[in-house]
Formats: sequence, C-alpha cells, structure tokens
Amino acid sequence: MGGSPGGPIDRGQHEVEDWERLADAINGALGAKGLQSTDELRRAIESLENYRDLSYYERWVAATENLLVEKGVLSSDEIDERAAEIEQRWDGP
Amino acid sequence: MSDHHSHEETGGTTSPYAARIRAIEALLLEKGVLTEPEVQDSISYMEARSPANGAKLVARAWVDPDFKKVLLSDGKAAASQLGMDPEHPAEFIVVENTPELHNLIVCTLCSCYPRAILGRPPDWYKSFAYRSRAVREPRSVMREFGFAPPEDVEVVVHDSTADVRYMVLPMRPPGTEDLSEEELATLVTRDSLVGAGVPRSSVRVG
Amino acid sequence: MTFEAGERVRVLPSGKPGHVRTPAYLKGKVGWVESLIGAFPNPEELAYGHSGLPERPLYKVGFRQIDLWDSYTGPTEDYLYADIYEHWLEPERGTT
Repeated sequence: MGGSPGGPIDRGQHEVEDWERLADAINGALGAKGLQSTDELRRAIESLENYRDLSYYERWVAATENLLVEKGVLSSDEIDERAAEIEQRWDGP
Repeated sequence: MSDHHSHEETGGTTSPYAARIRAIEALLLEKGVLTEPEVQDSISYMEARSPANGAKLVARAWVDPDFKKVLLSDGKAAASQLGMDPEHPAEFIVVENTPELHNLIVCTLCSCYPRAILGRPPDWYKSFAYRSRAVREPRSVMREFGFAPPEDVEVVVHDSTADVRYMVLPMRPPGTEDLSEEELATLVTRDSLVGAGVPRSSVRVG
Repeated sequence: MTFEAGERVRVLPSGKPGHVRTPAYLKGKVGWVESLIGAFPNPEELAYGHSGLPERPLYKVGFRQIDLWDSYTGPTEDYLYADIYEHWLEPERGTT
C-alpha cells in the first residue's frame, strides 16, 4: 500500500453508523477478554480477498466473522441465518 | 432491546455487513461469549475518546514546560496525569514539530491511530489514497490540506508499523500569549495532531 | 544481534509469507537505527494466536526519502521513520 499511486484524498467525513459503532465495540470487547488480538484482526483483514471492495468497517466485520469461524466460536451458517432474519425484520412486513 | 439497537428500524440502503455484525453480536451474547455490559462498556470506551483529549495534552504542554517534557518522553504517563486512560496502545509516543521540522503520521499497513486517546481516526486517514501517498509524497498530501511547510523545514513521516501509536505536538501559534489553556486547546485541530495541518491561530468568535 | 543508535541497517528483502509488519516499500532499503523502542511479542506469531514470545526488539529506523523513492521531489533532507523488528534488519557496511 505505502508508495503505491493514489488519487486525491477525499476529506469528507461520514457519520459513523450504529452498525459501525457496534463493529468497533465487538472487536474491543473480544480484545478486552483476550479472545482476539489486534494482530489477529489485522491478519484477517489483510487476508480478505475482496479487501479493496469493502469499506473500513466492512473489512472489520468480515475479518471478525472469519476469525470467529476459524476459532470455532460461531459458524458461517448460523451467522447467515441470523443476518437474514435481521434483514427481514428491517424490510418490514 | 438496548438503546443502540434503535437504528434497526431504518435498515434500507445500509451495508449488508450491518446485519452481519448484529447477527454476530446476537449470537455471541446468546452463547455467553460476550455479555451486554461488556459490549456497552466497549461502546462507551470509544465514545469517551476524541481529539479534545489530544488538544488538552497539547495545550498543557504549551503552557507547562515540565509537562511537555513528560509528554515527549512518556506519552502514556502524561495522558494519565490528565485523567485519560491510555492503556490500549502498547506505546503512545508524541513527536514535536519545531521551526526546523514538521511531522506527519500515517499507518500504511492498516490505519493504526492513537484511538485510546483520540478516538476514531478521520475517514481520510483510513483511505487508500492517504495511506499510499503520505509516505511517498507527504508535501503534496499536506498541500491538499492547505498546508505547505517551507522547503527549509524538514518533513518527517512516521509510519506506525508496529505497536507504537503516534501523535504530533504542533507548534504553538504566535500571538497566543494571552490565551488561557482552555482557549489554547480550541486552536488544536484533529488534523494538526496527525500533522496534516497546523493549529488555528485565533480563537473562533461566536 | 543488537543494533546501536546511529548504526546503518538494511531491511531484509525477504518475501516471507503470512502476516508481517514490515512494509513492502522498505524491503531492501538502507537506513539508520534511530532508537530502540522496546521489546514486544512478535506480531507475526500473535496474528495466528500464538504467544509471540520471546519478545523481539523493535527499532525506530530512519530512511532518507531520496533513498526510498526514485521520484521524490521534496528536499533531500526529508526523511521517514518506520518501526521495524530486529529480525527484519541486518547491518549495512557498504558505502551506498
């Protein structure tokens, strides 16, 4: 990344969304309990195949999911299922 | 449902990862991996941190030479002295701008930032454009921020590649001798703590 | 081997796989040791859930920008620091 060509820097600032705050919080809480280290998170983010297509917090969520699955804490299936339920609830009746 | 779930009703065009992190949270809570208070504490932790902390450290250093010495030699001790809780980064190092030298902070590998003091970094700091260009063309980057140190001022870039988080101690603007410490703190912008700019030179009116 | 402040060092050009905190743009480059920051568990191992022990020395290493980039247009006095682990450095005795 360092030294690669780069375009103009967008100095706009988006409002942090609740889910982004939550991504921060989950990682902080996992870290505080020694369940996940900063280095593990960094490694998991770097390993994302679609790294360049995701926003900063999207990378955090994707990496956190991969780590939790890797450690056998959660399964991708149950995350898929629950995420689908949540989205259905948001879309309304 | 706790307060931070109130956003759920809106849904809409937000990222697909919004549902995923909520799913992860729900599952972790159900399985007892995390508790609600632990999540809430973590949210509160970040909300309590902001550039205002950095501004306080800078303003105190500007008025108190002994504090400045501590800030530059042991950043975490200085932060503790002002009641901040700097435990998270392994090291917190403050680098000083002088008439001969201007510092710029970047993390090319991931966006490391002294979050335990300053809270979340600005979006631009996390951008690929900044991370790529700050090491290679720092003066061009600073010009985009409307700041251009003269050619006889050395520009020094710090790439936070390991466990140290860096913050800049900007120079005190001239003509501010009569300002109180609180007023001085209002001059210190978030960008100046990264080195992408310099503090304001006068207190905003109104 | 421990490096002294002021010593010239080269960053190893190694293409080691896995998680490393030595950026690509510094590999093979020559700079100087500014200071020893301290010793920390090795992030390359922490990244995979290992203890990272024993701790490894971490140095603040300086590089002239003109030595890093062919196209650097700023003053020759401009420089860059990165925090590099000891096992990524070797002594540089050349006159480059």
